[in-house]
Amino acid sequence: MNNPLIELRGINLSRNERLIISNMTFCIHASSVLNIYGHNGSGKTTLLKILTGLTEPTSGQIINNINQHNAFSYMGHKYGIKNNLTLIENLLYGNNENFDDQNKIDGVIEMYNMNKYKNDLVKNLSHGQQKKISLMKANISTSKVWILDEPYSALDNDAIKIVDQSIYDHIKNDGAVIMSNHEPITKKPFDIKNLELINE
Amino acid sequence: MNSFIKNIKKEFLIASRSGLEVLMPIIYLFIIMVFFNISISYVEKDIIVELIPLMIWISCLLICVLNLETIFKDDYDDGTLEMFIINDRYIERDIMAKVISHWILSNLPMVVIAPALSLVLGLDTKTAYVLLITLLIGTPTMSLIGSIAAALTLSLKKNKILMSIIVLPMYIPILIFGTSAVNNSYFKINFESEILMMMIIFLIFLLVSPIACSKALKISLD
Repeated sequence: MNNPLIELRGINLSRNERLIISNMTFCIHASSVLNIYGHNGSGKTTLLKILTGLTEPTSGQIINNINQHNAFSYMGHKYGIKNNLTLIENLLYGNNENFDDQNKIDGVIEMYNMNKYKNDLVKNLSHGQQKKISLMKANISTSKVWILDEPYSALDNDAIKIVDQSIYDHIKNDGAVIMSNHEPITKKPFDIKNLELINE
Repeated sequence: MNSFIKNIKKEFLIASRSGLEVLMPIIYLFIIMVFFNISISYVEKDIIVELIPLMIWISCLLICVLNLETIFKDDYDDGTLEMFIINDRYIERDIMAKVISHWILSNLPMVVIAPALSLVLGLDTKTAYVLLITLLIGTPTMSLIGSIAAALTLSLKKNKILMSIIVLPMYIPILIFGTSAVNNSYFKINFESEILMMMIIFLIFLLVSPIACSKALKISLD
């Protein structure tokens, strides 16, 4: 098997003398999906933030073998979109890359069935539609690894199918997806590895 | 599109849809100047004219402190800051884009209006011109210094007081040189050395602020 894209070795994280993540070791390869699940407060979001580099672990090692600067596309609890911009403007201005490929933007809007709303200000859209825009940003990025915090919450069944399709397309192109959820995930159109986080 | 230009365009687009927020510093400056003139209306006119540039400088400084919080706050609240920090190869450059657009949108209108206001209140043209130059150098320096404090206190709920405590001592040299230059001009004394000192402080913070800001933002998001 090829080298993993990312490898975590013995990651520990403490906050206020409380151990949040204990000796976490796993790796993620290209064309794979990892679901990290656990109860509220088990450290799922924190672990995802460690992966992106937003949070510094107390000890342990993160090995990043991705040789590109925009390795990660992250969707957290906050969607990272601007209320006073339209859907199209959010896609155009909402990434760090020098990206203005109108065809790609139009394609992803079509895929998520958001054509009707493309010139609407985001503040006038529903919670689920805002989440879709956040996921669309991952779709148009060139990032190898998508890190998605509870990607299925607030979405209807049609939207869940679209998200699954976009994840499937991404892993077909040698990408990888790490997501967090409250439950293990099965019955998806792609293989998925479930990892439970237990916080004692 | 270069990400520096892209970020500035984005900030202008958002500001253009945020109603009259851009006018708030100017309105605030007018209110302070009106209150100031009412409170010292019994003083001789010559003394009032001497005090006007100082009063304008202090007003601009306080308005700068008041709007510092907005540099990163919205991006922090809506999550765009997290995405901006992850993967950004040129984070310092993009922080500069944010600080520059913040200065243009929040402080530049006030910098342009302030000398005009001083002329209306009776200041001579040359001193108003020097006032404009000192504000053009001083206010971006204050934005650069303030951006570090804004980044450091970003994750705190009641951060305004702490931010003021951090920045106000650092604003003192700018205030001293700025007001000295204007005063010297009023009394027809040499003011170039004060302007030069202000430019040196500006250049120092132009180099230091983006680096300090990127570290502070990472700490705040941790």
